[in-house]
Amino acid sequence: MSPKIGVVTFPGSLDDQDALRAIRKCGGEPVSLWHGDDNVDGVDAVILPGGFSYGDYLRCGAISRFAPVMAEVIKAAEAGMPVLGICNGFQILCEAQLLPGALIRNDVRVFVCKDQDLQVESVDTTWTSEFTVGQTITLVLKNGEGGYVADEDTLRRLEGEGRVVFRYLNGNPNGSFHDIAGICNERGNVLGLMPHPEHNIDPLTGPTQDGRAFFSSVFNFLAAKV
Amino acid sequence: MARVVVDVMPKPEILDPQGKAVTGALARLGFAGMSVRQGKRFELEFDGEVTEERLAEVRRAAETLLANTVIETFDVRVEPTPESAGAVDEAQNSQAGNNQAENNKAENNKAENSKAENSKADGSEAQSAEEAELAARAG
Repeated sequence: MSPKIGVVTFPGSLDDQDALRAIRKCGGEPVSLWHGDDNVDGVDAVILPGGFSYGDYLRCGAISRFAPVMAEVIKAAEAGMPVLGICNGFQILCEAQLLPGALIRNDVRVFVCKDQDLQVESVDTTWTSEFTVGQTITLVLKNGEGGYVADEDTLRRLEGEGRVVFRYLNGNPNGSFHDIAGICNERGNVLGLMPHPEHNIDPLTGPTQDGRAFFSSVFNFLAAKV
Repeated sequence: MARVVVDVMPKPEILDPQGKAVTGALARLGFAGMSVRQGKRFELEFDGEVTEERLAEVRRAAETLLANTVIETFDVRVEPTPESAGAVDEAQNSQAGNNQAENNKAENNKAENSKAENSKADGSEAQSAEEAELAARAG
């Protein structure tokens, strides 16, 4: 039985359809979730997709973080369910305090949209076990508010605990501290990153298929769990 | 009616790209030597008085939603509204950091109100609205 991966659609989500398609293309069973849902029963993992949920009003992710479905996602994440936040999803995870720090407007003051080189820093997460440490991958990066910031203590803890999962290579595109592109929680089941793995799974639409390993990683994890 | 204002600012150590962009634009327009940091102002209006409980509730709301305390600080203060100007002025005077500009604004509002009332008696509303605005500006 293929694993069921839920993708939450908030008002203003953009990449929910691509995420659902990527799950299907990589061999999983995509499940559409709605921001107003009051449960995430029946899915094995959840993806919070990219976009501009609630129009980015107030702060990116600030209002989505209190959507009814998020109460359930937070509960499930704390119980160990794999959760992946991509771009706006990463911002939501930070606002929900499932991940530390915050994402602010790019220091370059423009919306960045490019194929971004990344270095894989940790494979001890539910979503990255199929990579190798030090591997260079390329994923689509497209955001206006992707600058990762956190206080010194938090950065030290993230670095010390091996929770910086991806780092920008060949130039920092947005002013992120420590060139951070993605981080995970202590347990490694919650991962947030600014680049978009769901856009890099098909040779037709992306220069690499490096996004596929995110999906195979979580499928392997879920298969081993059963 | 009572009004509580929550000001939210990016922490000093956090980069403020919007403020930088505004700073640059001001310099280009000839407003030299101004360094801008951009924040947000929220106005919360209530029926009745602003009690300590109410203020505590506002602080909780600010911490929960209005500000992200990882990157922002917030400040909660009572602002006089036209109707409550007298009462709240007293309360504000007892606090440190009393804001002269706010008081002036309250005075203007009072002037505007009384002018508007007078004009109603005159029965010439269109003209008097204009007058009230002029008076407010002059004040």
